[in-house]
Amino acid sequence: MSSGIQVAPVPVAPAPDPRGEVPRRSRRRFARRAGLNVVAAIVFLVMIFPVYWMVATGFKRGQDIFSDPPVWFPYHPTLANFADAIHRAHFWADVKNSLIIVGGVVALSLVLAFLAALALAKFGFYGRRAFIVLIIAVQMIPLNALIIPIFLVLSKANQVDKLSGVIVTYLTFVLPFTIWTLRGFMLGVPKDLEEASMVDGTTRFGAFVRILLPLVGPGLVATSIFAFIQAWNEFIMAYVLLHSPEKQTLTLWLATFSTSRGTAWGSLMAGATLTALPVVIFFVAIQRKIAFGLTAGAVRG
Amino acid sequence: MSSRFPAALAEPALVTPRRRRRLASRIGSRSAPYLLLLPATAVIGAVLGYPLYYMVRLSLQQYGLFQLVKHEGEWIGTRNYAQIFHDGAFWHVVVRTLGFTVAAVSLTMVLGTLIALLLAELGPKMRLLLTAGLIFVWATPVVVAVDIWRWMVDYEFGVLNWLLTFLHVGNYNHHDWFVNPWTGWAVITALVVWGAIPFVAITVFAGLTQVPRELVEAASIDGAHAWKVFRDVTVPLLKPIFVILTSLSIIWDFQVFTQVWVMLDGHPGTDYYVMSVYAYTNSFGESEYGLGSAIALVMVAILLVVSFFYIRQMVKIGEAK
Amino acid sequence: MKARIIAAVVLAVGLAVAASTAAGSTRQPARAVAANEVVVWVMTDAQNGWPGALDAANNAFKQQHPGVDVNIQFQSWDSLLQKFDAALAAGTTPDVIELGNTQTTKYMAAGALSAIKAKNYPNSATWLSGLKASCSYGGKLYCVPYYAGARAVIYRKDMYAAVGVKKTPATYAQFLSTGNKLMKKFGKNRNFSAFYEPGQNWYVAMSFVKDFGGDIAVRQNGKWKAVLDSPKAVHALTVFKSMVLKFSRASKTNDEAHPYPSIPFAKSRAASFIGNGWEWPYVFDPKGGAAPKSFAAKMGAYPMPSHIKGRYMPTFLGGSDLAIPISAKNKSLGADWIKAFTGTASQRIIAKAGNIANTTTLANVNKSNPQLAPFAKAAKYSWFIPTAPNWVTVEKANVLKNMCTAILTNKGSVQSVTHKASQQITKILNAQS
Repeated sequence: MSSGIQVAPVPVAPAPDPRGEVPRRSRRRFARRAGLNVVAAIVFLVMIFPVYWMVATGFKRGQDIFSDPPVWFPYHPTLANFADAIHRAHFWADVKNSLIIVGGVVALSLVLAFLAALALAKFGFYGRRAFIVLIIAVQMIPLNALIIPIFLVLSKANQVDKLSGVIVTYLTFVLPFTIWTLRGFMLGVPKDLEEASMVDGTTRFGAFVRILLPLVGPGLVATSIFAFIQAWNEFIMAYVLLHSPEKQTLTLWLATFSTSRGTAWGSLMAGATLTALPVVIFFVAIQRKIAFGLTAGAVRG
Repeated sequence: MSSRFPAALAEPALVTPRRRRRLASRIGSRSAPYLLLLPATAVIGAVLGYPLYYMVRLSLQQYGLFQLVKHEGEWIGTRNYAQIFHDGAFWHVVVRTLGFTVAAVSLTMVLGTLIALLLAELGPKMRLLLTAGLIFVWATPVVVAVDIWRWMVDYEFGVLNWLLTFLHVGNYNHHDWFVNPWTGWAVITALVVWGAIPFVAITVFAGLTQVPRELVEAASIDGAHAWKVFRDVTVPLLKPIFVILTSLSIIWDFQVFTQVWVMLDGHPGTDYYVMSVYAYTNSFGESEYGLGSAIALVMVAILLVVSFFYIRQMVKIGEAK
Repeated sequence: MKARIIAAVVLAVGLAVAASTAAGSTRQPARAVAANEVVVWVMTDAQNGWPGALDAANNAFKQQHPGVDVNIQFQSWDSLLQKFDAALAAGTTPDVIELGNTQTTKYMAAGALSAIKAKNYPNSATWLSGLKASCSYGGKLYCVPYYAGARAVIYRKDMYAAVGVKKTPATYAQFLSTGNKLMKKFGKNRNFSAFYEPGQNWYVAMSFVKDFGGDIAVRQNGKWKAVLDSPKAVHALTVFKSMVLKFSRASKTNDEAHPYPSIPFAKSRAASFIGNGWEWPYVFDPKGGAAPKSFAAKMGAYPMPSHIKGRYMPTFLGGSDLAIPISAKNKSLGADWIKAFTGTASQRIIAKAGNIANTTTLANVNKSNPQLAPFAKAAKYSWFIPTAPNWVTVEKANVLKNMCTAILTNKGSVQSVTHKASQQITKILNAQS
């Protein structure tokens, strides 16, 4: 199978005796592959339908949005909704702010979480258990209870109405999870791989960076996507912390489409589509990188 | 062993320098973990340290809007907690929240894992398509996603009603999905699970890519059945990830708020109260921060109890050294 | 190994610090709280609806204070109070804040707003009494009326004409007979409503209660007592129930924003509904109802008639007020900005945008506008919620909304449902804060 990613497939039954059975085996394999593709297509369509509806509504004329019978496909598409969305005040500034925040959160959380996960996964030390429990307990606190206290802390530190304040706040929400998950990925790496690398004299830390890091690459991808989405779509803390009109994020911008005088549905859906797109682009960009990284570090003989 | 590593690594080095280096690194490694943990801890501590202390303090105070403006709360000891525990509705809410959490987490984990397995079996193009689709779902802002679902089950113009009537399943014209809490919760659970699947599927898939192919192939060459190989080889290696995902899903689904709130237009009936909705309508929504802090701490306590098994697993895993 | 770890940690910390300072240092100087800026929190409604009024106010203010920047920060209704609470806790409140007229009492009672003197503000002698009431507490004034909204019946002239109704109903009896005719002619279509009333639109239900002499809650012996289970209120709600069940096919669990009745109305699923002035243009808005242009000629509006001849059914007077938080840094600047924004010039623009100005002197601004006049007329008879500090809690607990749904879905007799709701309201209103 020519997949770019090293994958442990759900094993099929061992290959049968090839003597007289080649046509049947390849037919079986083809049928199996076709069947899987059909299943995948169905899963894709079911999962994506609401998102499809969001994108389609962004292109629909007003009278097609609420209609009976439903308009399944915008046969008379219009760009008016997207134009309206983009031309709303501060759109590009908000894009920039969101990118800065997310960039900071993703980069910092990856570094900090990797280091912390190393400690929790690869070392035994006093207080390890307590720390693990603390990390998970912190995620159990409902956000509503923390809004005002966090605001007070940041206000004293003069971080209100600053992107850095938002970055730091998001880090605290994202780190426990990322540490927790990266630790899990690290624990999943068989220990002998690591041991083998130390034989030639590399230091343990060197082993971490050169061997472990690529191996938990997929874990880094998953957690970076998580961090990205958390930071990109968060509302209440950004709303409470950011005041100046030119310092808002895209999520806050999206909220202005719903007023007490009616919601602009088409524009809202168009705006939401624009908001979701960067994440998809980010993912497509990194997933190829990770696959490349894995193949490079793997089989050579 | 594997063709994974360059041949050079297979050669043993000299004994003495290695042992000396090992010893040195073991001594140095005593402070290593603390240093590694330092940056992350510093950030979390800086932002959450005082708020946590503050929250505990608030929970023992009468702290409504009046006290907030004065910047001073009234000490009332455990009266907030007493109020919560003596509220008949509170226990109904806990049971309802737990029931919802069990249903949502089970569905999410099962469906997410199935999709991850599917992803592992696909060719690269189909896999990219399905993964990109999952990412798109994951990336959609929650409020907008709920708006879409809300619209899909809308009384007046919803697609679901139209579709069911069209397919002659029944007359679903003007069918209100939220009059009956069971159908209402079915819709909300479907929405929550739908939003949670991508994360689980992608993370489990990432974990699957870590399982060394050699182990799997070795087991299947021995003639083992596909399911048995999965159970005996893959699952044990993925156990940490499963435990993590389950515990996180429990924590998140227990606290679900937006989906319920926005789906019911900001006015859920009492049949739809889960913990965070209860907390909001009884405290935060009316600026009662003392009571709200108490409710929050009670929620944490309940969650610790509920996920105790998983936390213990997590702590244990990785302790066998 | 330890050295490498230390290096990594230092790098991480350095990254963090660099990122913070980079993101934190804006190209503009940090917004220091100086006396050269007035910070204003108003809703996006103004940004979308009457930006001209904002401009007029800003210009007038700038003429008075040439060196001062007006920093308007638009807010969303949803989470505004959480943000305001946080600002109050930290002492970083704006100089001017817009609050809904049902939200003010709680903040006045908590001492969050500065007391002001009416005579310093324009048109204060002729402020709408309903709005002024929402700004008064304990004998003092704490905010300035901003604008109000009244509801009237928006209807399809052609459908009324099709059943022989040429004049708009002037009494409740005529309203009923019109509805009956409409249902007789068009009711076979399962989607049609002679009068589209979402089950949780409690504003209409309470209008009935007030019209028949009932009330939501009254003050007795220094305490609040909800009286929705009084005979008059029960009678009113029974009348309301029978009307809705006969004329409306709308959902019993949805409120007046999901969907906005303008939308089914635009799809000809409703002959009439009670709505705010802005819901008329929303019918045509391509982002809303998206009705064809030809619709305009078919639409009209009239104040909901009372069962008492010669009157209108009291309409809920929604609206907003402008206040100066107690911890505002530039109170006098805030006051001057409010004066500019609530002055006649800006109020005229606000009224023309489809609202009711805060002063009766501008009551006739829209008299010749057939689209806006009925709403101004309807405001002649209005009602307001009990001015209790805990009223916001009643709304947050959705007591009235759920009560209406229970009545309309027959979850008990009107008497028992209203009794339960009254008990709940009484408890909430009297709870110590």
